[in-house]
Amino acid sequence: MSVWNYVVTAHKPTNVTHSCVGNFTGPQELNLIIAKCTRIEIHLLTPQGLQPMLDVPIYGRIATLELFRPHGETQDLLFIATERYKFCVLQWDTEASEVITRAMGDVSDRIGRPTDNGQIGIIDPDCRLIGLHLYDGLFKVIPFDNKGQLKEAFNIRLEELQVLDIKFLYGCPKPTIVVLYQDNKDARHVKTYEVSLKDKDFIEGPWAQNNLDNGASLLIPVPPPLCGVLIIGEETIVYCSASAFKAIPIRPSITRAYGRVDADGSRYLLGDHNGLLHLLVITHEKEKVTGLKIELLGETSIASTISYLDNAFVFIGSSYGDSQLVKLNLQPDTKGSYVEVLERYVNLGPIVDFCVVDLERQGQGQVVTCSGAYKDGSLRIVRNGIGINEQASVELQGIKGMWSLRSATDDPYDTFLVVSFISETRVLAMNLEDELEETEIEGFNSQVQTLFCHDAVYNQLVQVDSLAGVLGGRVGELPTVYLGENMLWREVIRAKYEMENRWMTKMVTTPHGCGIWRTVTSNSVRLVSSTSRDLKNEWFAPAGYSVNVATANATQVLLATGGGHLVYLEIGDGVLNEVKYAKLDYDISCLDINPIGENPNYSHIAAVGMWTDISVRIYSLPDLNLITKEQLGGEIIPRSVLMCSFEGVLHFISGTVLCRNPENNGLKISYLLCALGDGHLLNFVLSMSTGELTDRKKVSLGTQPITLRTFSSKDTTHVFAASDRPTVIYSSNKKLLYSNVNLKEVSHMCPFNVAAFPDSLAIAKEGELTIGTIDEIQKLHIRSIPLGEHARRISHQEQTRTFALCSVKYTQSNADDPEMHFVRLLDDQTFEFISTYPLDQFEYGCSILSCSFSDDSNVYYCIGTAYVMPEENEPTKGRILVFIVEDGKLQLIAEKETKGAVYSLNAFNGKLLAAINQKIQLYKWASREDGGSRELQTECGHHGHILALYVQTRGDFIVVGDLMKSISLLIFKHEEGAIEERARDYNANWMSAVEILDDDIYLGAENNFNLFTVRKNSEGATDEERSRLEVVGEYHLGEFVNRFRHGSLVMRLPDSDVGQIPTVIFGTVNGVIGVIASLPHDQYIFLEKLQTNLRKVIKGVGGLSHEQWRSFYNEKKTVDAKNFLDGDLIESFLDLSRNRMEEISKAMSVPVEELMKRVEELTRLH
Amino acid sequence: MEDTSSSIPPNNATTPGAAKYLAGLPSRGLFSSNVLSSTPGGMRVYVCDHETSPPEDQLIKTNQQNILIRSLMLKKQRGEYSSKDGKGISSNDNGRKRAAEKALDSRASAKKATTSNHAASAQVSDVLNLVSTPAETSKTRAPEIQNMTVEKLRALLKEKGLSLRGRKAILDELIARLRGDT
Repeated sequence: MSVWNYVVTAHKPTNVTHSCVGNFTGPQELNLIIAKCTRIEIHLLTPQGLQPMLDVPIYGRIATLELFRPHGETQDLLFIATERYKFCVLQWDTEASEVITRAMGDVSDRIGRPTDNGQIGIIDPDCRLIGLHLYDGLFKVIPFDNKGQLKEAFNIRLEELQVLDIKFLYGCPKPTIVVLYQDNKDARHVKTYEVSLKDKDFIEGPWAQNNLDNGASLLIPVPPPLCGVLIIGEETIVYCSASAFKAIPIRPSITRAYGRVDADGSRYLLGDHNGLLHLLVITHEKEKVTGLKIELLGETSIASTISYLDNAFVFIGSSYGDSQLVKLNLQPDTKGSYVEVLERYVNLGPIVDFCVVDLERQGQGQVVTCSGAYKDGSLRIVRNGIGINEQASVELQGIKGMWSLRSATDDPYDTFLVVSFISETRVLAMNLEDELEETEIEGFNSQVQTLFCHDAVYNQLVQVDSLAGVLGGRVGELPTVYLGENMLWREVIRAKYEMENRWMTKMVTTPHGCGIWRTVTSNSVRLVSSTSRDLKNEWFAPAGYSVNVATANATQVLLATGGGHLVYLEIGDGVLNEVKYAKLDYDISCLDINPIGENPNYSHIAAVGMWTDISVRIYSLPDLNLITKEQLGGEIIPRSVLMCSFEGVLHFISGTVLCRNPENNGLKISYLLCALGDGHLLNFVLSMSTGELTDRKKVSLGTQPITLRTFSSKDTTHVFAASDRPTVIYSSNKKLLYSNVNLKEVSHMCPFNVAAFPDSLAIAKEGELTIGTIDEIQKLHIRSIPLGEHARRISHQEQTRTFALCSVKYTQSNADDPEMHFVRLLDDQTFEFISTYPLDQFEYGCSILSCSFSDDSNVYYCIGTAYVMPEENEPTKGRILVFIVEDGKLQLIAEKETKGAVYSLNAFNGKLLAAINQKIQLYKWASREDGGSRELQTECGHHGHILALYVQTRGDFIVVGDLMKSISLLIFKHEEGAIEERARDYNANWMSAVEILDDDIYLGAENNFNLFTVRKNSEGATDEERSRLEVVGEYHLGEFVNRFRHGSLVMRLPDSDVGQIPTVIFGTVNGVIGVIASLPHDQYIFLEKLQTNLRKVIKGVGGLSHEQWRSFYNEKKTVDAKNFLDGDLIESFLDLSRNRMEEISKAMSVPVEELMKRVEELTRLH
Repeated sequence: MEDTSSSIPPNNATTPGAAKYLAGLPSRGLFSSNVLSSTPGGMRVYVCDHETSPPEDQLIKTNQQNILIRSLMLKKQRGEYSSKDGKGISSNDNGRKRAAEKALDSRASAKKATTSNHAASAQVSDVLNLVSTPAETSKTRAPEIQNMTVEKLRALLKEKGLSLRGRKAILDELIARLRGDT
């Protein structure tokens, strides 16, 4: 790898930190706005549910998010403050469908100690001012003028230093805040202050309340007419106002989030740390509060934010589990819960650990993460591509083609599935029990291979069949067909003589029929009524010509016979009309007349792929005139052509189109896809008016011939490319994207949309027919394995096909020992627990490793633990446990006590390298004196760290990430049997993860959300220089990285440039999976230039600067990012309008196509 | 929605637990369809290619004036207003105050450009101004002296043959010396 790194997000943050509901996109439109750390999502509430509108990236970590409405405005404004002390006020411009900046600013102070309990940003309910608590002892005020404009901000001294929460009170003549704080004796109180804008100071407020619940941590201001505030504690809830004080006891719980239900503030939803949802009711008579009531409603994910939407629907945003859309039912279900979870929104955060594996052994990496926390802990299997969920499958050998047919033209669902074999055609249909059973369409010829089938107009079906074989038999007996030149295939035809059968009659009329072998070609197009299933008309190929390829749509049939003859038929009511015939220069290899123009039943053009000259041509219909000819180059013939159009994703909001660019809004882009026999796919943009082919692109999807077929899922058209690496081709933001499907080899696919399994696909695999549904079309496919406990470390063992986990289970029932720690063994296919080893009381699993030792062929799991005693600051005792997997069970083989927590374990030269508190310790796997058994024996060690938390090794080098002393490099000296320090980075970085990129470059992540690289300086002139790790790259990622791992999420195809770029994957607290790719220097320089130019065109929402956002930032310094590029910005080039692309192309003097090609290549890194 | 509280059945003892409190949840007709489509359409990623800097006057900055100084100044202003209202002050006196205010204003604007060190010293002289104003005898010289840098003050002291010792922080000492001299 190298110094020049490219950082890109493969999976966006999913941790929901804030949410609010208001009229943001229009006075009549109600929106749910969700903050996911560095992104906000805008949803629209509709009678049909939540409709996603926009995903807005923010150049900052969102600290507070509030909707408010200044006087005189008809819709709400969005206030966002970021953790790096920037704020902005955003407004939705309905006409342009853009987010515009109403105001922004920097609210940092030169002096001040950042608050420990997080930043607070609140807005006065009467919109007189914005209040911010960012530094201890200071309250910042941004006043509004009477036109809703913001004025210069100022600070007010706040006496209370340990502030837990601040809120504005409703219904006060002067803006009044209520402050919940802790004094120096750890008692908690609330106090009110009026903000005097004239004096720029606080005035003692109307009331105060001392000595509250010791766990009080949340304030809920109550709107008029009641006013006052609710103080939520761990054991009590208190209502407080100038005139009233009511309290109720609650079951001990920590309330994490609240959501107001009624506008008058009489009901609230409270979510606690166990994910229990309560309803808090303020009972009142007129404006007088008479009491509080609290009722348990049920369980949800552990909520970080709760937003009541409408009509009993509630959004539960979660940091520790999936966010949810729930409905509050009036009547409890059988378990007594009033909460019904209707939808779950996947959240990978917090990713505490992960590993990269190839479970299906397809050569593609998958990431298995330890996600979620507490009860919402889970494993997530993240793979690039789309999943097929099998509904049913049946063994069927030798499938040559499949088509689905409807029983009536206007039937929304398919009824029949026509499966073609080399010498017969079978028809399957769903019966009343939703089972697939064989049926018959009498008019179809079932004793031959079907080349093509389609629904036709006037409730008709069309079948193109082909037979070229040898027929024999005696009159009065079953005829036998021998197929293929060498007659290896034999099939007894089950039809009876009496049956109206064309080639039977032929045979009878043949003078030599009796007992004589003769060659038969049977090529016809049959038109069949879909209601009576009878044959209505038939067209025969001229004698001596066999139909090789055919295609059809509802009104047209196009077929090609040997010798380059092309025949065009049109379908009428009960008739097939031969309209046009043409003789082409060469044989035809593939055809398509998929109607993508305005008429959904008729195509004006036909795509034809040719043998011999390896070309693809566009012919006009019905005249069969050549419009375009495109040489494909190379020697591989086209095996499948397909014309298709992708509408992209349309964004309609109340009938108005969201996208501003005319080329975006709903205008389809038509493509011609052409698949070659060697697994390559060419795509062209097809002009529907002129038939021109432009924008030629070539990608490699596999190594075998590809068959293309369209299908639709959720009303959007996609293309399925069946081959040895089945792929779904879809369009997003006007780009064609390719996603692998989690199937090994697919020969044929056809959509099979039946009532019982809507949007299903029929898939022919090796010897198997499968009916399945396709997952949501997106780049990453995520499978969840809920554990009900918090997995903290994970390791995969290839040899035993198992995963091992260190996990914590939290139990509420057992008060003495609320946590139980385990080592769990899971099967890597079923993900079921197959063995468990419980750890001791207070013993935490800290590290896990699958390794083998020198002179021992077994593979082991090594677990490092720590005894976390309540009275100790740092653990002073731990263990290393060595397990072997035998018969699916964990067997403890050896155990070694350590003098501290084993934070990291690494396999190192056939030995075990452990990081134990401040020490690096090397163990060898030695035989015991008694002979047989083995044990870990101390070999050598190295002191000199604060806490050695993260260790990576390469050869004899050891890279240590320290708690607070950044990265250091150690070396193991074999001769001396000692570990010595070679160099270190002298900056004070609190590390969260380290990885070795190559011999000289090491990558680190630290707790201020930065990434940096350091370089070993082997060529230094002096010892002093050599002992220093030079910082070579710095970057603000804005994400807390918990783990780096070498690997990739995508197939590395050997012939692509991207395949050569080494990558590291990282996982973060917010559920981000990212990729760091080391680029060659020239590519880095090129992309850096592109990034600089993109910054001028793509602006930060709210006026936030990209350059500032990516600058390395900690308490001590802020420096510009270097040697890291923001892949997310660079890849958004592809989402720009053509004009903007050209702007950049001009500035860089590089053609747009070249830029697009290079950026598209990068998108294939993840 | 005002009537939601009253719509809670007040004494419906038959409904168990939370049910009686869950009646009459607010509704505006959204989420009313029986069939809730999960995610119709995908989420468009917003690419912002228009100008996003805020209107000129809406680029908000924080007032950098020290809180203590500000409060003292405000107190002083209030004192003036109250005394103006209460006692009535001669026009001559008023004129002087305004001049002092002007001086303050100009200094405040000049201060923005100065470095933090200068700002600190300016604050000290603010205090000095506030403290010394009531007792001042030579009215004309006051702003002059306050506007001076330490170097200039030192030069003045030297000119008058007074001691040059003392740091910026104790400017008032220097000025007191000068005043004492006049």
